[in-house]
Parts: sequence; structure tokens; C-alpha cells
Amino acid sequence: MFNQFGSTAETLSKASAAVLRIGTDAHLYDDPEDVNIAPLLDSKFESEKCEALKRLLALIAQGFDVSNFFPQVVKNVASQSSEVKKLVYLYLLHYAEKRPNEALLSINYFQKDLGDPNPLVRAWALRTMAGIRLHVIAPLALAAVGKCARDPAVYVRKCAANALPKLHDLRLEEHAPSIEELVGILLNDHSPGVVGAAAAAFTCICPNNFKLIGKNYKKLCQILPDVEEWGQILLIGTLLRYVVARHGLVRESLMLSLHGLDSNGFYEKDGLVSDKGDGDKSDSFDANLVSLVSKCYIEGPDEYLKDTTSVGDNEDVKILLQCTSPLLWSNNSAVVLAAAGVQWIMAPLEDVKRIVKPLLFLLRSSTASKYVVLCNILVFAKAVPSLFAPHFEDFFICSSDAYQVKAHKLEMLSLIATTSSISSILREFEDYIKDPDRRFAADTVAAIGLCAKRLPEIPTACLNGLLALVKQESFAGDLELVDGEAGVLVQAVMSIQTIIERDPLSHEKVIIQLFRSLDSVKVAAARATIIWMVGVYCSLGHIIPKMLTTITKYLAWSFKSEASETKLQILNTAAKVLISAEVEDFQMLKKIVLYLLELGGCDLNYDVRDRTRFLKKMLSYKLACHEPAEDSVASQENIAEHVVEHVFGRKLKPFSPLNLHNRFYLPGSLSQIVLHAAPGYEPLPKPCSFVFEEHDQLSDSDRQREATSDLNGSQESSETVDEDGSSEYDSESYNGSEFSSDGDERNEANDAADPLIQFSEITVSTDQEELRSKRALDLWLDEESSTSNQTPSALDRNQSSYAKISIGDIGSRVKPKSYTLLDPGNGNGLKIDYTFLSEVSTASPLHVCVEVLFQNSSTEPILEVNLEDEEAMNVSDSAEQTLVGKANASYNNVPTLIPMEELSCLEPGQSAKRLIQVRFHHHLLPMRLSLHYNGKKVPVKLRPDLGYLVKPYSITIQEFLATESRLPGMFEYSRRCTFTDHVKDTRMENGKDKFLSICESITLKVLSNSNLHLVSVDLPVANTLEDATGLRLRFSSKILSSEIPLLITITVQGKCNEDLNLTVKINCEETVFGLNLLNRIANFMVETSSSAS
Amino acid sequence: MEEASGRRSKLTIRSEREREREREREREQYRSSMLQCIFLLSDSGEVILEKQLTGHRVDRSICAWFWDQADSLKSLPVIASPTHYLFQIVRDGITFLACTQVEMPPLMAIEFLCRVADVLSDYLGGLNEDLVKDNFIIVYELLDEMIDNGFPLTTEPNILREMIAPPNLVSKMLSVVTGNASNVSDTLPSGTGSCVPWRPTDPKYSSNEVYVDLVEEMDAIVNRDGELVKCEIYGQVQMSSQLTGFPDLTLSFANPSVLEDMRFHPCVRFRPWESHQVLSFVPPDGQFKLMSYRVKKLKNTPLYVKPQITSDSGACRVSVLVGIRSDPGKTIESITLSFQLPHCVSSADLSSNHGTVTILSNKTCTWTIGRIPSDKTPCLSGTLALETGLERLHVYPTFKVGFKIMGIALSGLRIEKLDLKTIPPRLYKGFRAQTRAGEFDVRL
Repeated sequence: MFNQFGSTAETLSKASAAVLRIGTDAHLYDDPEDVNIAPLLDSKFESEKCEALKRLLALIAQGFDVSNFFPQVVKNVASQSSEVKKLVYLYLLHYAEKRPNEALLSINYFQKDLGDPNPLVRAWALRTMAGIRLHVIAPLALAAVGKCARDPAVYVRKCAANALPKLHDLRLEEHAPSIEELVGILLNDHSPGVVGAAAAAFTCICPNNFKLIGKNYKKLCQILPDVEEWGQILLIGTLLRYVVARHGLVRESLMLSLHGLDSNGFYEKDGLVSDKGDGDKSDSFDANLVSLVSKCYIEGPDEYLKDTTSVGDNEDVKILLQCTSPLLWSNNSAVVLAAAGVQWIMAPLEDVKRIVKPLLFLLRSSTASKYVVLCNILVFAKAVPSLFAPHFEDFFICSSDAYQVKAHKLEMLSLIATTSSISSILREFEDYIKDPDRRFAADTVAAIGLCAKRLPEIPTACLNGLLALVKQESFAGDLELVDGEAGVLVQAVMSIQTIIERDPLSHEKVIIQLFRSLDSVKVAAARATIIWMVGVYCSLGHIIPKMLTTITKYLAWSFKSEASETKLQILNTAAKVLISAEVEDFQMLKKIVLYLLELGGCDLNYDVRDRTRFLKKMLSYKLACHEPAEDSVASQENIAEHVVEHVFGRKLKPFSPLNLHNRFYLPGSLSQIVLHAAPGYEPLPKPCSFVFEEHDQLSDSDRQREATSDLNGSQESSETVDEDGSSEYDSESYNGSEFSSDGDERNEANDAADPLIQFSEITVSTDQEELRSKRALDLWLDEESSTSNQTPSALDRNQSSYAKISIGDIGSRVKPKSYTLLDPGNGNGLKIDYTFLSEVSTASPLHVCVEVLFQNSSTEPILEVNLEDEEAMNVSDSAEQTLVGKANASYNNVPTLIPMEELSCLEPGQSAKRLIQVRFHHHLLPMRLSLHYNGKKVPVKLRPDLGYLVKPYSITIQEFLATESRLPGMFEYSRRCTFTDHVKDTRMENGKDKFLSICESITLKVLSNSNLHLVSVDLPVANTLEDATGLRLRFSSKILSSEIPLLITITVQGKCNEDLNLTVKINCEETVFGLNLLNRIANFMVETSSSAS
Repeated sequence: MEEASGRRSKLTIRSEREREREREREREQYRSSMLQCIFLLSDSGEVILEKQLTGHRVDRSICAWFWDQADSLKSLPVIASPTHYLFQIVRDGITFLACTQVEMPPLMAIEFLCRVADVLSDYLGGLNEDLVKDNFIIVYELLDEMIDNGFPLTTEPNILREMIAPPNLVSKMLSVVTGNASNVSDTLPSGTGSCVPWRPTDPKYSSNEVYVDLVEEMDAIVNRDGELVKCEIYGQVQMSSQLTGFPDLTLSFANPSVLEDMRFHPCVRFRPWESHQVLSFVPPDGQFKLMSYRVKKLKNTPLYVKPQITSDSGACRVSVLVGIRSDPGKTIESITLSFQLPHCVSSADLSSNHGTVTILSNKTCTWTIGRIPSDKTPCLSGTLALETGLERLHVYPTFKVGFKIMGIALSGLRIEKLDLKTIPPRLYKGFRAQTRAGEFDVRL
């Protein structure tokens, strides 16, 4: 009983030591192998199985390979315990790919579980089955996914959407269209949870199949706020790609701002610049960068210019922007960033501002997300610094930031600094320089240099600070002691150098100060930079040339003790100095240079020796002559001089930071963070590359349906745009499927299709819905084989019966039944019969047309015949009637009668027809009328015929099935009855097709007794000629009073020449009415129609 | 000339095509799923457990690679390793590492890992190596529900709790006694299908309670000149609701205009907020964060911290004064001050006239003040000895200030009212507020 404590004393002590861990799975994790797992797996107790599985999982967690237990584990998949099941699934998924053969053993159980009434079990089975990823079972998994895609439980449909990428992974070329079609169906789901998962599947499977999006674009936009956060992230991206592909970029957007009529002017007008309020227009946005960014997003040679659109006149763009902008308030950072990306690319310039605050708010989330967000903000800020310029304070660094975050914030601050904010920013920078993290301090110094470069007004302040820093750093004692200190100094010198570069002449004094500090600056890299500056600025101004000799002497003196990096720089500088040397210093400098070259030639470092040799050769002409200006006679030397001039005397070229990162990736993408295109990264699609032929598709839908057997995925999925998903799916799968209606046949088809698996367990299920979807899927899976099952003749017959039995053809033979209103015995020879007409009343939708036949069988004329409502009720106005009709409360209302034209006189033997329109107040209760004739008043009762309280509802078979599937369970009722009419008929016309005549007689019977629309007649295929079993007729109608659809399905059983058993099934929400009508139909089907003969 | 341009266009076309083909190949080569694997690493780099999410398995050697990287790379949230892209977050010493090989939104992975960490610490009552190991089955089961094929499946805590029971004392005892207690639910939680997945359908309570808490954190930076450079409030509206049925709540503020920016729980409807700044929502059951907001540009902090430092010939004198700057009207509690002594400080001798000072071996110094006494100003003073060879201190520490004030929201945000569409019997409503220090830095 206490098996958790294990059998050994050791584990016992362990367990007691950690009292708190009692009851947890700690011991399993610590010693997973202290008992023999194999027998536990075979145990008959669930708890022992459970423990064994937990031990296996512990081993997996610790990285051991326990796949050898696979066969034993698989057996347990049949367990009824949800925990065991879950654990087995966990194990299975981990190893299935490794042990494909054993994994197959579990398939039957999944199949069984897929039919489980518990949605959780179905979902688990589906997830695991799809997760096993074996090519062999792919078709089955696909069938399962297809079935689950129409599951009533949202969770199961969601899992189905998630399973699609798993199947896609298997690279099933032949099934690719079906998978894509399923994606389309799930995208069209009405539950936001499913749509989210479907969006993820879409992104993985067919990110460029914009037809799927096009169909549902508006709906997807509307549903977006309700979709789960994870789905939102991907759906936003998908919608953006669709809009770009369909409509191109927005003319007013940032991406195209450069190519507008007068982009800069436009930009300044709209107030973004005035936000900054300091008139610093040069960096309101970096034109080149923006165009570079947009080029990178699209990745096409200027194609994005071709077609553009405008928010104002494009509904799709407008909706996209509208539905994504509230998502900037989302709790999920990734959603906010995705939404911001859409606004950034698509929104008009003036609206891009709205992404700023939400993005800044993201900086208060976790360290990890902060970093990613900053990387993205940096790109935005590079292109349009003015967006973030007013919010510089948000990028001030707090001590808890990670180093990377600090570095990015610094870069940000140096990007968005403006003349108004620079003083605060510089003050912050001063603080940062004193930060204990010296690497960060060094970065700060570099950032100061960048700021000074961007804003020409401020360098003096910066320079003084930097010089002070250089001084301070160099006096800070033994620098080797402190990590990173050297870096600060190097950066300080480099920053000074970048500032000087802009205008060396005005900073002459700074240069001299730097030269003076050479003695105290000990860091090689910093020294090298200063020495390099000596060479570059050696002829600048008045003072420096005079100092040169001293400096060069000093360099020569210190050469021996320098690092090789500095040595190289000293040699270069010496050469430069010599070239530009003035006459009076030349001799001296020449000596020094010669001395340096001597020293360098013996250096330990071969780089230095090489450089020395090179310089010796180059400068040989200079070193040989005595005066700097002396004209060399030999032309050869002249060339050398030119070369030297060129190598050493060249002026600096301004360095453009643009070249550094000239690749941009879509905001929020992985590629933007790692700065290379990650596999699977795709830029935005080519603008307007996708043309969506909505109308063509609609009108051609019929033709397309004919081509269904091709199963061309994209065509398939784009048909019937406005139908809802499930019905569309039905239509597709049912087109070829109606001929098969029996479980046994289905079974056969399955076996033929895939001999590996038996579906028997599923087909046994009697659930109608289940069966239907099952069969549909099988057929859909193996469209080819199914269609080949259908022999041409059968198909033909099917077609012909469908075509021949239409209401038009049979209309002449439909003889509505007539009822007696007044017996001649009671009415002094006046006989009144009435028949219900199928015409729809003109008065109101609630009225029924009744044809009344007056016959005078007496010998005297009958005068002034009229029918009136007994209560002599006025005809209420139609508005009230429709209102009542809608409220479905017509019972409470007094019946109304639209009176007929009075018969002034009816001669003996004469008959006359009159039309009345009646509204029955209850579908079973007769209506009292008063009959006036010859001045007398006789009460009569007009009985309603249920069959005529409905009106034909003309729908296609697809719509029929969709409606039917929505009306399961309590809305579905059936009754059996026998039918004999056809027997006579068949015998009579022997030459005629038996099926056809059966169909005809049934239809005739039904239509003679009720006002219905014949939707379809389906013929069984595999039947023998004598067996009518499986013949199915579908009728549809709407209840007159409430417009509620009512579906009737009649299924035939039995031999052609004998009495047939009919099953009449009605699907209707109005249960009472439906049941009554069902009885009525069953009744009149049984009646032998004497009138027909 | 023409010929040349023609050739060039042909070239570009070819390169276009090649690029497309290449991309196609890439797509072929890499699986289409998003996250491929999640590892949980202990603080010593040991893999506590791995959860493979796709058929394309990731070998755990990637963890060793990751752990061996230099700090500067290892601390990045997104790392491009030679074989995979790695996403990581660190929570309470546990590293959550996720791998992928294809493009996916990195923030999605990071947010998901954060969500996993939240859920786990909620389930296990904290997060550390032992807790994860002790409950590894639950962790596995949770991960399996939370992510399917690399894409998040069910992350709503309410639903997860119904699917997988959190470990509690009762279930532990039960499992000891009977050896069998399943924590996996047999039935699908009702929330999965509803349009408000955060709420279980029709919970029942005998007494109905709603509590609203304003929890604010103050972020402030005082620079070395003693100036307040930045002062803002990051606040949350936290709610605890135990309401029967399907309640529809409306929460309005007296002064919504102070809010600079906000983020909402998915239950909040956007429209009412857009039109008249009213929060209208169907709340989740239990505790949740309704919204978070930011209030910028505050003028004052409740506390002042005045550090002074003088350094001369290898020794420094430090003194720090803490006092109330602007009285919030409520007691300021649990005041702490912590700072990191610079590397170059070899030893420190610090004492205070109020509260306690502790210096840890990693040179972290914490001064716990508690409440400010009425009779004196708390003062920390002492000397720091610098490493030999250093004359003066050239880097200065930053003081992190901590405090807590109950009963007040310093941002000034006020809740006007909380309405229920249908008022259930026995309804209790409660409002609270508190402010504590967030990133409150005082630089020396």
C-alpha cells in the first residue's frame, strides 16, 4: 500500500527526511529505477501503471532513452483512466518517431477514442494521433482531423487546427490541397478560439494562399479582438500580408512617404515636426533610411511603387487599421508589437504616432521582452527619430537594467536627442560615466560622441567633458586594477576624434591638449588613436606644425616601450609628418624617422618589421634628399612621390553609419533581432500581387462544382464565398457521397482504401451525425476510388432521376386532395368542397390559399352564397400580422379570412370556384366559418391541412444538409410507415425503370398531400435492380407562420415489387408542429390513393 | 546600352528566382512548427526536464552549448546558436529555454515562457529546482496542455486549473494513503468552448464578493545633482471576484485623464473605454489583473534620500540621510535602501542611527529602516576603504530605494464606482490601494 516509500531502507529514510515532499512525485524523479518498471506496466492496477509511467517520464526528463518499453506502454493506451491515458500519450509522443512499427499498434485505440462522447478524450486522441507523425497513418490522421474540424466542441476543433501543421510536416504532397482546404474551413469557424489556431496553421502551412483569407477577410478582422492572444499575433501578421498583397502599400504611409508628391513638405505640415517644437527638421525622418527600410520589408526592386492605395478609399485597409489599433492595449507584449508593426507599415504618417506610447509601456515588462521591444523601437527610431524624441526620459537607464538593455537605451538616446533635450541627456550621460559597470560607461562615452556628431551645436560642451574625462581617467591610478577602465578611455579619445573630425580647424586647441596628454595616457589603443591624429592633423593650423618635432622626438623616445599596435601607428605618423614637413624641420624629422625605421627593423613583431621595410622603400626618395621641396629629377622618383602622397596624404572621408546595418526585417520578427534572415522568414508579399476574383468565383461556382473530382484545393476552397464554412465543406464532401448510405458499404470502402486499419469500431456507432461525417470524410479522403465505385450507369440513373422528378413535370399529376365543407344533405343540395392550394397567399405570409368549389346539386338556384368569418372580424392590417407572425404567437390571434367574391346566383347543376385566403389560428383546430346562402346562415368548419401550413423552401442539397446538421437530437424525429402505391404503378408500366417509378409515386403522394419542395432524390448505387433499399428523398419547407425551416427525409427500405417500408424523418425546431406533420405524412403515405388510379 | 540593361534585368530576374527557390528549399528543410522544444535548467545548468514539442527532436546538448557561452551572449533573451534559435527567460533561478529553427515572433516565445513560469509558480507555490523536480509530472501535464506542436494551446489559468488539479495537501495525503489520486480531469472544462474562456461557466457562491486593489509602483530616478529626473507610476488594477453566474461589471475612474497609457486583460471591452473611458467586462473567477496603467511626470517622491560621499587618500566617508519629503498622509512602511559597493572598495564600515545595516559577501549593502521615526532623521554613515593604490573613488554606487504605503495610490487615480448589471444577493464590494517603490534609483 505504501509503495511510494519504496522497498529499500534508503529510500524510506529519504522520504522521511523530506516530509514536505511526501505525496509529491519527488521520489520518482530522484530514483526512477529503484523498482522494476516492466512488471508495473503490466499490472492490472491503474495506480501501478501510473507509477511506472511516471518513472518512465522521470527518466525522459533526465535524458535517458527508455524507448525499449515502448511496446508495453502502447498496450496501456486502452486504459480508461484519464491519468494513465495522458501519461501514455506523453510517452508516445516522445518516442513515436523512433518506434514507428509499435506506434501503429495504438492507432486503433485512437480511432476508437475519436468516437468517444467525451470531447476531451477526442481531443487527446487527435492530438496524439497527429503528433505521431508517421507517413503510413497520415491519411487516417487527415481523416480524423477533417472529422474533428466539424466537431461540436470548440476545443476539439481547435486541436484539429493545431494538428494541421503536424500533418503538413510530413510533406504529403498529394494531400496538400486537402490540408489547405481544412485550414480554410477552420479559418471560417465562428469560434474565435478556433480561428486563432487556424491562423497559426495558415502561417505554417500556406502563408501565401491569400484566397483563403480573401474569402473571410472582413470576418477575420471583426473576430480579431476576440481571438486568443497567441492567435492574434499570427492573425495580425497574416492580415497585413493579405492587405499588402491585395491592395499594396498605403500612399500616405511612411513606407511610401518619399515617393509622394512632396513628401518632406507634407511631413512637415502634418504636425509631427511641430511636436518636437525645436525646429530641428533635419532629422525629423531619415529619408534614405526610410526608403531602405521599406525596400527591405518588400524585397523587390522598387515594385512597391507600382500600385498604391489610400486609406481614405480602401475599405480593407481601413478595417485593418481599425481592428488592430485597440490591440495596442493588449496585455500581451507580442500582440502589442504585432499591432504596432501593422500601424507602422500601413497607417498614414500622422497616425503612426499612436504606436509610441504602447511601445514605451512595453519597456516596463520582463527583461527579456524589454530587450526585444527595444530592438524594434530602435529601428522605428532610426527611421523617424522624431516619433520618440519627446519621450527621451523613458530611455533613461535604471540600475536594474541588463547590460544589453542599457546599451540599446544608450543608442536610442543618442538617436533621438534633439537640441532641446540634449542638455538633459548629457547630464544623464555624466551620471552614467560614473557607473560601476565600466563597459557601460565606455558605451556612454561613445554615445556622447554620436550625439555630438548629430547635433553640431553642442560639441564644445561635450568636448570639455570628454577631455576632463581623459584627464581624470589617465590619472585614475593604476588602470590595470580596474576592469574595463581602459575601454572608457579609448572610447573617450575616439569620441573626441569623431567630434574633431567634423571641424578640425576650430578644435585645434583640443587636439593640442590631447597631444599633451600622451604622456599620461597609458592605454595602447587610446595612444594609437592620438598618435594617428598627430599624423592626420600634422599640417593643421599654426601651432601644431611647430610642435611636430617635439612630438616626433617623444614618440621616437617611447617607441621601444610601446605596444605593437602603437608602434605601427607611430611609424605611419612619422611617414606622414615627414611628407608634410616644413623646410626648417625637415632635417631633424628625417633623422628621427631614420632612427624609427632602424628601431622598427629590429622589432620582435613581424608586422612592425614588415611595415618598417615597406615605409623604408616608399620613403626612400624622401630620405635621400635634403630639402623637402627639392624637385626630384628622375621621373621614377616622381611617381614614388605621387604614390606616397596618395597613401599618406589623403584626406579623411566622412564615414557613413548607414552601411553598418543596411538590412531591416519586418518589425517583431526573429530576423530583426538576430539580424539575419532566419529560415522561413519572408518579406511582405509583392504589393497587389494577389488578385481576388470574388465575383467570378461566385458565378462559376456551379461549373467548379462539376470539377470537384479533381479536388483542386485552391479552386475548391474558393467556391461559394458567402456560404458558411461547414456547409461549404458538406457540399464538397457530399457531392460524390450520396450514393452510399449504408454502414456496411462504407465499411467496404474503407477496407479497400486502407487495409491497415479497421474502422469497424467506429462504424458500429449509431450516432447519425457521427456516421455522416465519417462517411463524408472517407470519401473525401479517397475521392478517386469512390468515384470509380460509382458505375457510369448508376451515375446516369442518379442524374436522370434527379432531373425527371421535378415539381414542374410532376405538377400535372399532382392532385391535391379535396375535403368537404358542406354536405349536400345538410345544405339543401349545396355541396361545397375545398382544396388547399400551393400558391402563396398574397395577403400575408400567414395566410393559406384555399380553393372552394361550390356545386349546386339541387334543382333550384341558390342565391347569394358567401363565406364569412364567424366572428365577422375585420381584416387586421398587415403590419400587425407580420408582427404577430414574427412573435410566433398567432395562436392567440383571432383567425382571419379574406372574404371571397360573393356568388350572386348558382344555377342548378352549376359549379363555381372561389378562392379564399385563410389564416388558421392553430394548426390542428378547425376554423369556424359561417356560410350564407339564400339568406340563411350555416356554421361550417374549415379544417386545416397540416401539409399546407408550410410553404416550399427552395434550397440546394448543400444547404439542406447544413441545416439538417444544425438540427440534431431533439429536433429530429422519425416514424416508420409502409407504402404501397407504387406496386400498382410499377406493374402497370413495366417498361419503366422501377426506381424511377417508385420515386415518382412517392413524390406524387407527398406533393399531393402537402406543399413541399423536392430537394433531391438519391439512389443507392450498389443495389440490385430489385432492391430499393437506400433510396432517399429529401423535401424542404418553411412553416408558414414562423418561417422556420422544416426538413423531411424519406428513406426507403424493401424490394421494388413489394410493399416498401418508409422512414420519414423530420428536422425542425418547432417540435410540436414537426411531430404533427410527421404523423400527418405517415398517415397519408399509408392511405391507398384511390384518387390516383 | 540597351542590351546591357536587358542583361541586367535578366540577371535580377534569375537572382529573384534563385532566392525564391532557396527560400522554398529552406522551408522544405525546416519544420513548419514554431517552438520545437522547451528545457528547464537549474541554476547550475543541469537540465531538470525537457519537453519535445514536435517530431523534430532537439538534442539536449544544446543546453550544454548554451551554458558554456560567455555571459554577454548567455544573458541575451534571443540567441542564434549554430543549430537553433534559443529564447530564454530566467525566473527564480530556473532558466526556461525554448528552441526553434524557423522564423517566429520572438516576443511570442518569450511571453509564452513567462506565462509558463507564472502558471508553474502558481501551481507549485513558488519556483525552484526542488519544486519542479518534486512535481515533474504536473509540469509535464501542464506543458502538454499549454502548448501543442509548438503553438500555445490553453494558457488560461482558469481552464488549466480545471484540467489539471494543482497539488494541495489533500491530494498529497490522499496519494500517500491510497496510492492513487489522479489530478487529470476527465471532463473538458466548460471555459474552452465559451466566448469568455477566462471564466468557468456558472460558478456559484453563497456570498458574492468583488474587491478592487490599486497596486502602484513608483519608478523614479534622482540624479547625482539631487534632481528628480524621472518620476512615474506603473500601476495595476487587481481584482478578486467571487460572483455567481455571469456578472457584467463596469468600473469607472473619477479622473481617467491622468492615465498616460494602459493595457487590459482580454475580458475588457475596447469600445466603452474608447468612447467614455469606462471599463466594462465579464470578470474571470478569482484573482486577476484587470488592467495596468502608467502615469507619467509626477512632481514628487514621498521620500528623500541624500547621499554624500567624500573620498581622500584611499578612504571614503559616506553618509546617507533618509526622510519624508512630502507626507502622503499614510505611514510609509518597510523602507529599505540597498546598493552595490564598487569593486574597488576593499572593506566597509557602515552604521546607522536607526534600522539595521547588512553587507553581504558580494558587496551588496542593505539598510533596513522600516518606518521613519518621529524624533530623528535616519542616517547611515561610515567609511569605505579602497583597494591599495587607489586614491579616490571614481565610480559611485546607485541606491535602490524600497518603501510601501498602504491605503493610498500616489498617482492620484481614483475609482469612482463599480457597477454590476444584475446585482446578486449579498454583494460585498471593497476597494483598496497601495503604493510601493518600483525602480526607485538614487544616484550618488
